[in-house]
Amino acid sequence: MKTKDDERLIQLINIIKDFPMPDGSKYRAIQGISLSIKKGEFLSITGPSGSGKSTLMHIIGALDTITSGKYLFKGKDISSYTSSELAKIRNKEIGFVFQSYNLLPRTTVLKNVERPMLYGHIPSEERKSRVMKALQLVGLGEKAQNMSNKISGGEIQRVAIARALIMNPEIILADEPTGNLDSKTSREIMQLLHDLHEKGSTVAVITHDEKIANYTDRRIHIVDGKIVSDMNKKKYGS
Amino acid sequence: MDLKELFQSAFTSLKSNGMRTFLTMLGIIIGISSVILIYSIGQGAVVFVNNELSSFGTNFFQINPGSSLMSSMGGGADTITLEDVEAIRKDTSLTNIKNVGAFVTTSVSVSANDVDKIILVYGMSPEIVDLLNPTMVHGEFITADNNLNSEQVVVIGDKVSETFFGQGTNSVGEKIKIANKTFKVIGVTRSGSVLFGGFFDNALFIPINTAMNEVAGSSTIREVDIEVKDTNLMNETINQVTELLRERHNLKVGEENDFITASATDSLTIVKTITNVLTLIIVAISAISLVVGGVGVMNIMLVSVTERTKEIGLLKSIGADDKDILLQFLLEAIVMTGIGGVAGILLGIFGAGVIAILVGIPLVVSPIAVTVAFGVSMLVGIVFGMYPAQRAAKLSPIDALRYE
Repeated sequence: MKTKDDERLIQLINIIKDFPMPDGSKYRAIQGISLSIKKGEFLSITGPSGSGKSTLMHIIGALDTITSGKYLFKGKDISSYTSSELAKIRNKEIGFVFQSYNLLPRTTVLKNVERPMLYGHIPSEERKSRVMKALQLVGLGEKAQNMSNKISGGEIQRVAIARALIMNPEIILADEPTGNLDSKTSREIMQLLHDLHEKGSTVAVITHDEKIANYTDRRIHIVDGKIVSDMNKKKYGS
Repeated sequence: MDLKELFQSAFTSLKSNGMRTFLTMLGIIIGISSVILIYSIGQGAVVFVNNELSSFGTNFFQINPGSSLMSSMGGGADTITLEDVEAIRKDTSLTNIKNVGAFVTTSVSVSANDVDKIILVYGMSPEIVDLLNPTMVHGEFITADNNLNSEQVVVIGDKVSETFFGQGTNSVGEKIKIANKTFKVIGVTRSGSVLFGGFFDNALFIPINTAMNEVAGSSTIREVDIEVKDTNLMNETINQVTELLRERHNLKVGEENDFITASATDSLTIVKTITNVLTLIIVAISAISLVVGGVGVMNIMLVSVTERTKEIGLLKSIGADDKDILLQFLLEAIVMTGIGGVAGILLGIFGAGVIAILVGIPLVVSPIAVTVAFGVSMLVGIVFGMYPAQRAAKLSPIDALRYE
């Protein structure tokens, strides 16, 4: 029988993150945050610039280490994992979409989407069909052979989403995914993320834009490294 | 990540900075090509000298007067006489000796057809014909009769014939003045060998008795050439002749020989020694060039790691671990030096081919040298690519992603 904890994909307990400053002092970017994310959630982490939302996303994404606290991923404490074990988690469990520098230059859309599967040792015959499926899902089936620097900003984000999906991860983390896009393309990208959520994916979007956050079902607002509000759609309205 | 994909990725990355990659490879190309070039030429020279010696035959040894090769070549020593030559011929205990020839040399004024030149004149014993096997263009070489009667006859090199009588002229029967004495031309000779070309082509040959009595005015021998029956007994025969001459020259035990002996195979040993020393020197110089080239590779790879820091961050965020990044950058360095190595090998072989054609030696490409050169170029990639690759691999994903 499933307990409540089983549904928790990610659990952060009293997370603190300090950064060393040039003068030898420490800057506390995250000041004791506790939060949990359940499977299938569509949430946003918002906050002004310098609030610590990107640092929090990097910690959730196993890209950065914590100073103290506990990080449970699927119930396992990954705080003390080696760099190789964390790489495996990033490869198999987490899909990233960044604001910029999302794609490898000098190579095709297909090769970009395929790349995580190379690190995941997926056999070559399986790789191509999975890439085509993912590209069709984001509406770029015909652009597989295009060079990554010859497609539009909106298409770059779609390719990044296709790549984020390719390993069937537990969660997609999108850091300001619409930051460099016009409002129409931004809406399309958010709609795409929403559709993925509808199909069962867990999606977390980090943004400073209220309009973007409004697409999500749960909004976590951070100021100065602390959660100041954590509301679901019923509370904050649409 | 599989190797095929890694190689493709390395090629793509190197191709995108084509000029930079090429310039970085240059150090490796120069280093490898010079090793291949010099090694091929050296081996070609050894094969060439070997062929030359076998055209003369390796079944003889020579005796020169003097206690060192330099004093002998300078012509200052007069320790070997015609009597010594006769003693060797007549010694019945020297059973391995087939033939004994000798010659004297002197540079004298030679004139004909109003042309006057100083030319090297060889006074040859007739046995030399069997030993050195000169190619006759016209007429005949000096005979035993010519020698016995101290006849004033001369065989001239074809270049000398050209100088005095014009190109293509058969000068047999012409008269030529050597040291103010008139000689009749009885033959024109040419060397069949390239290396010893000057020996036959640019000199005059007269009977040894005539040379001693009429031209040189002395009875000292420049060189004795002794043909042996069995080359396996060459060293024993040399020792026997050495003993005979020491006895004749009244040399005491412990006293140095006043003559030197050398066999044809000694010449090959000398050429091999020179080639080996030359190869060693070039290998040392090339090693420096390869180290400099390797430092260039390291430098460019470090620049590349810095330029692609964000890319490394992205790769780590999608699941590349330290080993994947290390392999990717290391392979780029190895591919770069490997291609440089192949280009260097091809360039070296091409250069050696051109020189072989120009100089007239055979082109020798050693598969071992090629394999070693390729291996060394890959090794340079591994050694000098390791540090930049490790730096790339150790980057923390978040620092790499944040890098501006």
